[in-house]
Amino acid sequence: MAKLTINDLKKIKEKVEKEDQFRAGTKRVKLTVHMGTCGIASGAKGILDTFMNEISEANVEDVLITTSGCIGICSREPLATVEEQGKEAIVYEYLTENKARQIFKRHVLAGEIQTEFVLARGKEQEGGK
Amino acid sequence: MKVFRAHILVCGGTGCRASGSEDVHGAVVREIAAKGLSDEVAIVETGCNGFCAAGPIMVIYPEGTFYQYVKSDDVKEIIEEHIIKGRPVQRLMYREPVTEKAIPHMLDIPFFGKQQLIALKNRGLIDAEKIDEYIARDGYLGAAKALTEMTQDEVIEEVKKSGLRGRGGGGFPTGMKWQFAKKSQSDIKFILCNADEGDPGAFMDRSVLEADPHAVLEGMIIGGYAIGANKGYIYCRAEYPLAIKRLDIAIRQAKEYGLLGENILGSNYSLDIEVYQGAGAFVCGEETALMASIEGKRGMPRPRPPFPASQGLWKKPSVLNNVETFANIPQIVLKGGAWYSSIGTERSKGTKVFALTGAVNNVGLVEVPMGTPIGDIIFDIGGGIPGGKQYKAAQLGGPSGGCIPASALNTLTDYEEIIKLGAIMGSGGLIVMDEDTCMVDTARFFMEFCQEESCGKCTPCREGTKRMLEVLHRICHGEGKDGDIELLEELAATIKDSALCGLGQTAPNPVLSTIRYFRDEYEAHIYDKKCPAAVCSSLFKSPCQSACPIEMDVPAYIALIRAGRLEDAYRVMLRTNPFPGVCGRVCPQFCASKCRRQQLDEPMAIAWLKRYIADNGRKPVIEAVPVTRKEKIAVIGAGPAGLTAAQDLAKRGYKVTVFEELPHAGGMMRYAIPEYRLPRNIIEEEVKDIEALGVEIRTNTRVGKDITFDKLRKDYDVVILAVGAHKSWTLDIEGEDLQGVWGATEFLREVNLGKDVKIGSKVAIVGGGNSAIDAARTAVRLGAGDVTILYRRERKDMPAWEHEIVAAEHEGVKIEYLVAPVKLVGEKGKLTGVVCQKMKLGEFDRSGRRKPVPIPGSEYTISIDTIIPAISQSSDTTFIPDGSDVKKDKWGGIEKVAKSKNRTLAKGVYIIGDAATGPATVVEAIAMGHDVAKDVDASIRAWNNEPAYREPEADKIDIPFEVNEELVVTPKEFMPEKEIAARVANFAEVELGYTKEKAYKEACRCLRCDAEL
Repeated sequence: MAKLTINDLKKIKEKVEKEDQFRAGTKRVKLTVHMGTCGIASGAKGILDTFMNEISEANVEDVLITTSGCIGICSREPLATVEEQGKEAIVYEYLTENKARQIFKRHVLAGEIQTEFVLARGKEQEGGK
Repeated sequence: MKVFRAHILVCGGTGCRASGSEDVHGAVVREIAAKGLSDEVAIVETGCNGFCAAGPIMVIYPEGTFYQYVKSDDVKEIIEEHIIKGRPVQRLMYREPVTEKAIPHMLDIPFFGKQQLIALKNRGLIDAEKIDEYIARDGYLGAAKALTEMTQDEVIEEVKKSGLRGRGGGGFPTGMKWQFAKKSQSDIKFILCNADEGDPGAFMDRSVLEADPHAVLEGMIIGGYAIGANKGYIYCRAEYPLAIKRLDIAIRQAKEYGLLGENILGSNYSLDIEVYQGAGAFVCGEETALMASIEGKRGMPRPRPPFPASQGLWKKPSVLNNVETFANIPQIVLKGGAWYSSIGTERSKGTKVFALTGAVNNVGLVEVPMGTPIGDIIFDIGGGIPGGKQYKAAQLGGPSGGCIPASALNTLTDYEEIIKLGAIMGSGGLIVMDEDTCMVDTARFFMEFCQEESCGKCTPCREGTKRMLEVLHRICHGEGKDGDIELLEELAATIKDSALCGLGQTAPNPVLSTIRYFRDEYEAHIYDKKCPAAVCSSLFKSPCQSACPIEMDVPAYIALIRAGRLEDAYRVMLRTNPFPGVCGRVCPQFCASKCRRQQLDEPMAIAWLKRYIADNGRKPVIEAVPVTRKEKIAVIGAGPAGLTAAQDLAKRGYKVTVFEELPHAGGMMRYAIPEYRLPRNIIEEEVKDIEALGVEIRTNTRVGKDITFDKLRKDYDVVILAVGAHKSWTLDIEGEDLQGVWGATEFLREVNLGKDVKIGSKVAIVGGGNSAIDAARTAVRLGAGDVTILYRRERKDMPAWEHEIVAAEHEGVKIEYLVAPVKLVGEKGKLTGVVCQKMKLGEFDRSGRRKPVPIPGSEYTISIDTIIPAISQSSDTTFIPDGSDVKKDKWGGIEKVAKSKNRTLAKGVYIIGDAATGPATVVEAIAMGHDVAKDVDASIRAWNNEPAYREPEADKIDIPFEVNEELVVTPKEFMPEKEIAARVANFAEVELGYTKEKAYKEACRCLRCDAEL
């Protein structure tokens, strides 16, 4: 790959924004499984597998799945974030594979937030409140 | 077509199958066939319903009833109730979850809302393995700015301006470090990142590397550029495989983009970075040892100077910074040093990442502005201590640091402030410890760590830590001796002065710090051979017994209940406790707070089992003990302390006379604790046994009135003061002379004397302890319509027992929190109202609780006709004439001989119970009674030059050992209570006691920690 210049950084930023299928609107839902060591140790891999299986079983094209690191509150792992277009992100805590299935079927597919498993809504902000 | 009257749908989806739906399906098929319903009811296995977490799921049509968490055991009930009788099974039915509005926003949760993210700004938002995601969040723009717009000196200047100090623990100004390295002349320089995070409880570096590795690479590019280094290493311990994997991916991607390698971003600057895997030696976190390790040598420190900035890796100028330090750099360059230095305190700028762990509700990674009080991190962000336990201390700075006691929770996160406490900021490991932590054991743990990790190069560290560890081991095993604490301090001072590297010099810190704040715990181990936290198991048989002030052999009498040997169980209790029937009802159970069962489900219901034995076991017959001693003993006050002392001394052959002002013996047990908690016959029975030994109790006899104190001194060889604390504290506010103001103790005494006490209809009680609850529940029983408790803190801070508070609420008592009375108002001398002020919780007080502070202008008036302050009590010592050799202190209490628990300044006069300690509990009073009897007897024998008393051998009771092989989560057996309507009208006992079955079941929960296997 050609070496980047400073302008390329900005282009990458724009490209990512454009190609981010969730931001671009081609994907309806973005699922993020938080996979730091804490998450993995609590079973995040099983959660990721469950979501992937559910996506393929449901045969849906509009769900984007990705992974990320620890969000800080390690004692509530495994955690996953569900973002629907135009809605606030929902962070789920203490996940099990069954909860993941339920979240997929009821929230991702049917749009019903599974309140009893929710840690919080929204996102953290740089620099705090 | 066949028509069914009902359809049972059992979910056969993956989730429900995993939860056991196949068993449920099988049970349904069997049960339907057994009931002969096969023709009426169809059974269908369905695909997933989507309620996987509540599985197995069952839906019954035509009603469409939705059952969740169905077990095969439930099937019979469902078929019988729902299908046959047409009554849906409520307990299994699905309940609507709460509404969406109830979901808090992340920033409304203190854990997130109180954080300020700089080093962790990308956490949870990007995929660490995709460089584009990092770039999309302004990644590498800081490096671009530094490389293309700034000179090396300008970069260094910006970092200096930011005030950033080394986050690895040293706190050395980063900009200065860079400047030194830049000034060093050399063709080759190195930029190094320390990711050898090794202190117990620290995981900041790992988390940053896993979540955002490019931030660290970018920081290194900027640092490398500033000092002129073209080669970098990240020294990461091999125990962090995920961090290393993500770093490797990040480095590869950065190289592909030309963000590492030759001419980065088209500039003239080139940098290559490599990950070096460390083998996990703690000492390799020390900079010179780390560099030796990269060079392929044994990781051992060398003396400095020369400092790495002039001679580091391979003797070339090098800068070593910690992961978190580098993660801050890109932001500083991008947003400017002034922005960064606007956050934090005078000398500590920016934010600090802490790894919050231990006995705290929210374990995790926390980034807060410097200057945040440590208490805020633990209690607001961390959510406090789990299980209602008390905070004890937090270890900051790992094995090189020290502890933060409850009295220092207001300390700000600031390098210098923390050093003043004897701790260090360190890399940010913050281990929270609760009341169940032994501080000597904690010091031993850290010393063991340092000893194991000592590289062995210098003698002070190699030998000194070993000697210190030996002393600590001895103390923890009950072999500590006088002088050990001083020996530890001396060794610590020597190691601090003479060890070669920082790790050796700081190794004694945890010991020094725990001695500084918890010396009494060391002394308890050394002199009393007791571990107050019930951790050092060589010092006790079982934690419950160790925690009991009179060391009742709890596992023994529980085992005897299980074996059905109640008479033996009774005898075991009476060995240490003359009042088992009383304690079985009112003991605060210090034992249960250390019960190991709570780690599984709930602590044992020890008091209730004790009560079961006392209520149901046959009591051994008590016979009078012959008086064999010529010395006569007088005890003033027939409460638990005085009566226990009398019992013990009578057993040793003394003639004991107890003087009691009130008409009945029992003291506070009789005149403060209400009858609905402690029926009078229970006290009377147990007092009778003490009289049966030969103790004479003269009631209705007030010393100072019916007999003078001086005459008592003349007639008796020893006088024991056990007068209790029967005088309520006043509120010290305007209007306390109004009619309708009662002290709680006086109020309860009048009621318990059987007087016809007229209470108003609107009553306020002030306070949060058991006396406040007692007064409130008594007021309810006297017919007060409206009873409100005013408490100045929050419910979790109430010293009263939770089940008492709940019982009061059930009986209609209202509790207002965070309020304090400021003025009483009245008309014609009668109380008509109380002006209250609302409080908010401010800084932490010395006990580690937040101090209530008044909110100005928040005053409001409650109309009442009675107010009962229940805030504390003191003793009435007016019976002691002025000029007596029994001296009083300036607060009106009795002065004691230094370091003695019970000796007054006058020979032959002792003081025990609430009069000596302030308001305490029955079991503590009994303990003091035992102690004083021993002391009195020993003193008398010493005066007479007699040999010491030899305890007669206790009759042998063999204790069976039977435990359940399998541990099943079983909450404690509940205590049956009288119906609320039946109890508020009278003073009959509320708690009804265990049945045989309940007691047996509860006894079987005991884990038998006393067993020696």
